[in-house]
Amino acid sequence: MTGEAKQDFAFAFLSILFEGAPFILLGTLISGFIDIYMPPGMMDRFLPRNKFLAVLMAGLMGAVFPVCECAVVPVIRRLVRKGLPVSCALTYMLAAPIVNPITALSTWKAFSGPTMLVHGESMAANLVMTVSRLGLGFAVAVLLGWVISRIPLVMILRQRLVDEIQGKPAAKHEEHDHHKGCDHGHEHHHHEHGCCGHDHGHDHGHHHEHAPAMTAMGNPRLVAAFRSAIKDFVDVGVYFSIGVAITALFNTGIAPGATWLDSLANRQVLAPSALMVLAFVLSLCSTSDAFIAATLDKFTYGAKLAFLVFGPMLDLKLLFLYQTVLRRGFIVWMALGLFVVIGAAAVAFQWYLNSQVTLP
Amino acid sequence: MNIKFQRILFSLIVLVWAAVMLYFYASGRIGKYLAPDFRPLALYGGLGLAVMGMFVLLTAGEEASCGHDHSEGDPHDHEASEMHPLTSVCFMLLPVLFAVAYTKDGFSVQALSRKALFDAPLSNSMFLAQDLPPLTMEQIEKTHRKNEAGFYEFNLMELYFAVGDPELQKLIDGMKVETEGRLVMEKENNESGKRRRLYRLFITCCAADARAVPIILDFGDQEIPTIEENAWVKVSGTVTFPVERGVAQVVLQTATCEPKDAPWEESFMRNN
Repeated sequence: MTGEAKQDFAFAFLSILFEGAPFILLGTLISGFIDIYMPPGMMDRFLPRNKFLAVLMAGLMGAVFPVCECAVVPVIRRLVRKGLPVSCALTYMLAAPIVNPITALSTWKAFSGPTMLVHGESMAANLVMTVSRLGLGFAVAVLLGWVISRIPLVMILRQRLVDEIQGKPAAKHEEHDHHKGCDHGHEHHHHEHGCCGHDHGHDHGHHHEHAPAMTAMGNPRLVAAFRSAIKDFVDVGVYFSIGVAITALFNTGIAPGATWLDSLANRQVLAPSALMVLAFVLSLCSTSDAFIAATLDKFTYGAKLAFLVFGPMLDLKLLFLYQTVLRRGFIVWMALGLFVVIGAAAVAFQWYLNSQVTLP
Repeated sequence: MNIKFQRILFSLIVLVWAAVMLYFYASGRIGKYLAPDFRPLALYGGLGLAVMGMFVLLTAGEEASCGHDHSEGDPHDHEASEMHPLTSVCFMLLPVLFAVAYTKDGFSVQALSRKALFDAPLSNSMFLAQDLPPLTMEQIEKTHRKNEAGFYEFNLMELYFAVGDPELQKLIDGMKVETEGRLVMEKENNESGKRRRLYRLFITCCAADARAVPIILDFGDQEIPTIEENAWVKVSGTVTFPVERGVAQVVLQTATCEPKDAPWEESFMRNN
């Protein structure tokens, strides 16, 4: 790497890091507090019994609990562990970064100005794009959630999560058992490291109620919540760092590909595909990607819609973040499914807009 | 690994991130990296990380309770990490420390060439057009200060986006204007070597999203001042909109060009 390349990489890396880290912190704090304070299965109780209605409801949860795509992964990791059905959790994971008021507002602002023909009438582009983005994002997330509800858990989640949900001791943790010098007795009243430094799922044949005792810093549950949050932050931060590093390499041209992109701008099918690839590589935050999409003036609204829906659902950094929850094989299939469904919807959207322009 | 040592290690990772974010914020360098509305988030994020890191560090040896019974259907471990803590240290600290060591708070011209530095101006200004000044000469004169030499002070972005706004273009074509930006060599259509490119960056959220907003400076018969590549300059001249090689361009027939200090806000921000 040349001196200039190092400088460019460093600048892009830090800028994305500064932009994303607060959102990851927010997500992991929420996740940590959910972990300690929310009883298992609580969210489940708020969802309708009917599977499909539950998935529909999960697709709208972002409207009342808005998070961006960086923050949503640690939250859903925790929710899945807390007993939220995986289909609902993944629906929420895909929908929340799009179906939320902040994203709606930024899309509205970014596309204000021009008009387009819809049903033969002139309509504001920001209204059409905002409604289309939120609508398509919701529909795709619900569709995926509905499909997931018919797939066995072991094909979707990482083994460790599956073990935890099913109440088995995690394989990795089995190595950390009492034969490896864990320094607490089986009475479990006074762990040297307090609660939760180890897996309680192993069969001790007893209950331990964790009678809270005040710590030097105050509430012992607060201490546990922060420990859980910092662990989540580091887990997610590792993948985020890798994703940001790769994004920075693409962003600054150390990795090639942008010239090729422009040559595809006027192609009906390839343009949405190209912008989905761009969204994947750029890994922009859903709260701000509309401002980038609006400046891609060589591309059609359909291609921009694909960019705005696909990006928050799957990008380079999310690819790494998703691996903290999902199996790699499932991520590949999900990526292909999202690419095809969103791409097809974007082509249909543009076809409709074109047909409006050519109306007599 | 001992759980207490893991807590200390994780706290230190988080504290390093916090220190980096807070340092860049406190030193003002954050202005080169983030748009204004994202900067307070970096501050809050840095403070939040510092609080979390310090809290976990100071309570690393204390007993805590999650308050629920793990033996009944909730067997998870609140602190078991996905990977070895030392691996986490490598992935989270090495790239950050590398970046802090090598960043110069800006992109090289090579990287900027991928961010539209040498592209033709956008012919459709879309959402930006609404931020441009009203379209009568009287109002343009009212909203732009005139310097002592008789040049109107224009924002570089106004000149750039005039290409996509025929009404504004018609009004300011031939006008004497003054503006500022960074100076680089013009790569194409510059056989005489008398042309340079003047640009600033338009940032939507962070520097990685930045897009160059450039115009062309044509020095004609004038001597080109010796100015370091990519340095900040203040220029004045007559703005024109010739069609060159089939594309409308913004060309400033430059009268004066002098170095100037970099402004505190290097880039155009979307709220400015």
